[in-house]
Amino acid sequence: MQSNPLELTLCGIFLKNPVIAASGTFGFGHEYSEVMDISRLGGISGKGLTLNGSAGNKGMRVYETPSGMLNSIGLENPGVRHFVEHEAAYMRTLGPAVIANLGGHCEEDYLEGARLLNNADIDILELNISCPNVKAGGMAFGMLPDTAADITKKVKAVSKHPVMVKLSPNAPDLVAVARACEGAGADALSLVNTFLGMAIDVKKKRPVFENIYAGLSGPAILPIALRMVHQVAHAVNIPVVGMGGITSAEDALKFLMAGAVAVQVGTMTFADPNAMLSIIDGLAEYCAQEGLANLQEIVGII
Amino acid sequence: MAIIKSNSEIASAIWRMTVSGTPLGRAGQFFMLRVPGALDPLLGRPISICEIDAELGETTFVYQTVGRGTAQFARLLPGQEIEAQGPYGNGFPLKAGRAVLIGGGIGTAPMLQLAKELHASDPTRMIDVYLGFREEAYLEKSFEQYADSVTRNIGGYVVNDVDFSLDATYYACGPAPMLRAAASAADEASANLFVSLEKHMACGVGACLGCTCQTEHGRKRVCKDGPVFDYREVRDAI
Repeated sequence: MQSNPLELTLCGIFLKNPVIAASGTFGFGHEYSEVMDISRLGGISGKGLTLNGSAGNKGMRVYETPSGMLNSIGLENPGVRHFVEHEAAYMRTLGPAVIANLGGHCEEDYLEGARLLNNADIDILELNISCPNVKAGGMAFGMLPDTAADITKKVKAVSKHPVMVKLSPNAPDLVAVARACEGAGADALSLVNTFLGMAIDVKKKRPVFENIYAGLSGPAILPIALRMVHQVAHAVNIPVVGMGGITSAEDALKFLMAGAVAVQVGTMTFADPNAMLSIIDGLAEYCAQEGLANLQEIVGII
Repeated sequence: MAIIKSNSEIASAIWRMTVSGTPLGRAGQFFMLRVPGALDPLLGRPISICEIDAELGETTFVYQTVGRGTAQFARLLPGQEIEAQGPYGNGFPLKAGRAVLIGGGIGTAPMLQLAKELHASDPTRMIDVYLGFREEAYLEKSFEQYADSVTRNIGGYVVNDVDFSLDATYYACGPAPMLRAAASAADEASANLFVSLEKHMACGVGACLGCTCQTEHGRKRVCKDGPVFDYREVRDAI
């Protein structure tokens, strides 16, 4: 039997291809399972969870910008317990690797959330220390190397799952944060979360978002995200999962060449639900054209 | 992918686009329309179904050019392709008996297919249509084949024209102030009213949570759980 050139192992978990649905863009899989063949994905990172759930932010939540969008959802989610009891088992039936994304407002939230997730059949815990849209906690944990390392170390100590830390591009020294997380025991890193941005309604003379600032994603951020993935991937020895504005197989290849072993796709799925499937097909075609036994051969060649 | 059969301006900044291919669906549902391959703007635009011709396999959308996305649609020519994802959303419930349809501005568009379906499901039922426009009427004539009466209001408050005391089901789509006025009137008359809501959304399928609204029964997504709601459920979200 011919081997699958797209397959890889991430944190000891088998992925049939390196294309993962990004957290916050895919729910827990229910919605897109109705409009596309989600079994073909390499993995799914579920909607960001907080210990007790959240109603999310008031006011405008999404706002389109040139080649991208700002969001201020504010981690609307049903809470970790609901996920453990109702969503994890469903996600397991879908086929792709199951990643639970865990956010938090304080240290104890993260640790209790991680403990509860020990009871869920998931493959990887994605530790979200990079959500820019919640007032307390969230991105604050990902800004400085010391705080990022501290929370990573503590979550690692209680979690039985591999821990992939999702980093914020808003950190003043992202490479230092990445190294600190690696030193604290992170099994992998994923980056980048959204860039802090802003929109103003000039007619109303006020900010579009109630939180004033919001997270920018989409093709507009790709070159910056790519640079950051390149820097981080060359600074650490743990696997890096890259994301930021990927719309095509060619974009995914850029992130792989820059050093990411896998990619996440988010905003583009909103525009075209089948985008990830086209990317998977395009990556397979690329392997055939280039005569690659495995796509991982190109990881980090730049 | 759908093929554009026609795309022309029917009133100032109001365009009618008829496509063949994938679409169809039912009254009150919408499609995410997108220029194929476009990265700027990236996202599709939720456009409600205005009229379906099942025999010809054609679907008509009436849209207002309000930003860069809809301005791109207006530049598309017959023969060109347009991405149409859907149909999404729940659509209008077709209740038995008399129906009163209230459309304001571009909110008149989904009312046409609703009138068509209501008439087709019971040709004997009474259908009264009220259309409100700021300056210029459109689509008005198209309603005449399905409705017993079509009342139009230009520059005023269309809800004021409506008698909410009838033994009928009321359906409304239009700007928020119009829907709020309809809700108040329905309250006073204890009328059954369904409203179609509009909110900014990124995905149209219920994943992005951009269009969440608070309802009597908890958080609901306008795109997936709506856009049509019993007005009592979404009173605070209108």
